Amino acid sequence: MNHAPTARAAMTVALIGNPNTGKSSLFGALVGVRQRVGNYPGVTVERRSGQMEFAGRKIEVIDLPGLYSLAPRSRDEMVAVDVLLGRQDGVRPVDLIVCVLDAANLGRNLYLVSQVLELGLPTVVALNMMDLAESRGVQIDCDRLAERLGVPVVATQAVRHVGIAELKAAMHRAADQKARKYPSPLPAVFRQEIDRLAAWFLKPSNGSPGRVVARPLLERLVLDASGYLERGIFAAEGPALAEELAALRRRLEQSGCAVPGVETKSRYAWTEQVLSGAVHEPDDYLPTWTDRLDRVLTHRVWGTVIFAALMIGLFQAVFSGAVPFMDLIEAGCAWLGAQIEAHMAGGALRSLLASGLVGGVGGVLVFLPQILILFFFIGILEDCGYMARAAYLMDRFMSRVGLSGKSFIPMLAAFACAIPGIMAARVIENDRDRLTTILVAPLMTCSARLPVFALLIAAFIPDEPVLGVFDLRGLTLFGLYGLGILTAVVVALLLKRTLLRGETPPFVIELPSYKWPSARTVLHRVLERGWLFVRCAGTIILAVSIVVWAALYYPHDAASVDRQPHLSHLKAALDRMDPAGEDYAALAAELERERLGEFQRQSWLGRAGRAVEPVFKPLGWDWRIACAVIASFPAREIVVATLGVVFDLGENADAKSEAGAKQFRDKLRQATWNGSGRRLFTVPTALSIMVFFALCAQCAATLAVIRRETNSLRWPAFTFAYMTTLAYLGALVAYQAGTWIAARIG
Amino acid sequence: MVVRLSLIIELKNVCMVHAVIPLNCLLCGQAAFVNRISGPPDHVQRLEELGLRGGVRIEMFRPGSPCIIRMAGNKVCIRSDGLLEVLVQPAETLSPR
Repeated sequence: MNHAPTARAAMTVALIGNPNTGKSSLFGALVGVRQRVGNYPGVTVERRSGQMEFAGRKIEVIDLPGLYSLAPRSRDEMVAVDVLLGRQDGVRPVDLIVCVLDAANLGRNLYLVSQVLELGLPTVVALNMMDLAESRGVQIDCDRLAERLGVPVVATQAVRHVGIAELKAAMHRAADQKARKYPSPLPAVFRQEIDRLAAWFLKPSNGSPGRVVARPLLERLVLDASGYLERGIFAAEGPALAEELAALRRRLEQSGCAVPGVETKSRYAWTEQVLSGAVHEPDDYLPTWTDRLDRVLTHRVWGTVIFAALMIGLFQAVFSGAVPFMDLIEAGCAWLGAQIEAHMAGGALRSLLASGLVGGVGGVLVFLPQILILFFFIGILEDCGYMARAAYLMDRFMSRVGLSGKSFIPMLAAFACAIPGIMAARVIENDRDRLTTILVAPLMTCSARLPVFALLIAAFIPDEPVLGVFDLRGLTLFGLYGLGILTAVVVALLLKRTLLRGETPPFVIELPSYKWPSARTVLHRVLERGWLFVRCAGTIILAVSIVVWAALYYPHDAASVDRQPHLSHLKAALDRMDPAGEDYAALAAELERERLGEFQRQSWLGRAGRAVEPVFKPLGWDWRIACAVIASFPAREIVVATLGVVFDLGENADAKSEAGAKQFRDKLRQATWNGSGRRLFTVPTALSIMVFFALCAQCAATLAVIRRETNSLRWPAFTFAYMTTLAYLGALVAYQAGTWIAARIG
Repeated sequence: MVVRLSLIIELKNVCMVHAVIPLNCLLCGQAAFVNRISGPPDHVQRLEELGLRGGVRIEMFRPGSPCIIRMAGNKVCIRSDGLLEVLVQPAETLSPR
């Protein structure tokens, strides 16, 4: 074969670069559709990798998170450093690094290149977005730049697939060459101290033999004031290393090379040397159309108005645009459930499949259209560059709560579903801000709360106009959304002043140039998020659906149920009737429904509901409501189905069809306290249930995601505890105050 | 009286072109050179890695907190807390808004 691999048949390439350099587009141009997205084991940093082939060589390309520096401060930087040093689990040692640079902003981009070159791995530089640089009047002499850097430099325009073949060829050639030894730009004093530290590691101590530590690693160890490497890689050295490092840094400070300032100073001096004569930048930048757009979009008044209009449009699209698709999924699930009921013999297995599996998983899948639409819009806003402006506009408000503009996107996503919201919090570098955002995101009114609100508002809140323009039902819904937001603000403020108090790093984000969103990037993101949601929520919901189903099904003691007096009366009446008569079928159906209701009442869940009735009585709830609420702890949307079941509508109570919904509402209105004529559901009761649902952490999937994202059991437990307590207190106040007011009004 | 007078003179000096002033004193469209950044070393380094460092020419695009500045053709949004201070030296001429 002509293209026989010369050295290695397979290799691993890492793509690294500043954010907004078009790195992801370049990654897409290199690997095409053959990409995989996952997580690095143990950390919540997205791992993006893909396969490509060139000249008979299989190449795995890893797209590292966008970063400005290899100083390991944020999670992303830690992972990038670990991957490049070959110590990240599940990633093969890197054979070649491709540095993606924004050609229009080389001064800053070369800072990272300087750090990368010191790692001593074969490197190729891709000068991306050359067209943009040229339009701004930046002139680059690629050959001279390559000569100065000592590595191949390829000009690319990833979005238009320009220069990709040249880049691949350069990667292929560079991989077989030995990397040139690169002199460190750090001052001589610093280099001598590194020699000393290398010697310190070589010395055997405490019975353990000395070891050779790579120079780049030693440099990073000295420069890294956050102590990440010290705690991570060099934990075994213990306090002896800490003492050695402290003494070393003191000596550096005395000789005018204080850490970490010495790094930026030396590297930027090197950068200027490299650029002089190779790159010509204009003295003054002319206003671009991005500037013209920004004059409006970041304007205090107009910017805010456009932002509000965009958000309203987004919500409109999420909530009304998704309806036909949601109906379709619901109909599909109902059909599947009916097929199972029709074609299987009665019993536990049929019930498990129809109610547990199809009902439970379908209940989650129904939110998929909303999530896809939400991520479609977020994807467009992100890809065109608007999201950074939204973060700027929202920062004014968020900083008052103790957060930053970066918490805005997660909060926005949480209105559709807390799970993507919590996952989106990964973009927040500051750990305390990120944790606060994760802990309050479930308070945003997610779409799973809507069916509960819709049912109860339609049944109990009168359809009356308020002040001529608003209507009471709409205001109630608005109030419930407001309650969630207000509670989140208060909780965030409290958290940032107590548990998560600490120094806030400065809020800095780059506002990239606007560009047309790429359909491929947006669709890819939508599908990726959708799949993540289905997989993550689906598996957990599946498990809890089975548990709830079992708790509502077992012990299923038919003998005990049939002994109930009202059932035996019905049975006797039925036996006396003519099986061919008109009323027979209706009565038989009623008996079946009553029997089913009795099974539910005698189930473990039903018994639990009765046992805890005293706890919920102050909220105006009887055992049936308590039972439905308990059943909905794994997933709040279950409550509508459970209410249907415990209020004897039977398993097939169809709350969706108009007639079914009316029947459901009437049933709820007619319900009375056990053994009395007193109405169970009053306006205060309905309010107390809705307030409870607005504030409670009734979603096992959310808690599981918090557990995964925070890597601890403590935070999901905390979220559950604080939200449940708030929900109980809120419902108590709503009921008691509501009853008191109702009594005064009469 | 004397103290007040000297305070006014000092304030005038601060606002004079060429004097070193905090970043958030820059007016919309005003260009300046970064003089120095003071604050916790880690935070200072963060800003420097982003390209905001001594000697760099910037232009105020949107004053306030957070503010938006233009820097080598790019825009960066910054809100610094009380600990971090970016000091700048206004350029002689105001660039067109």
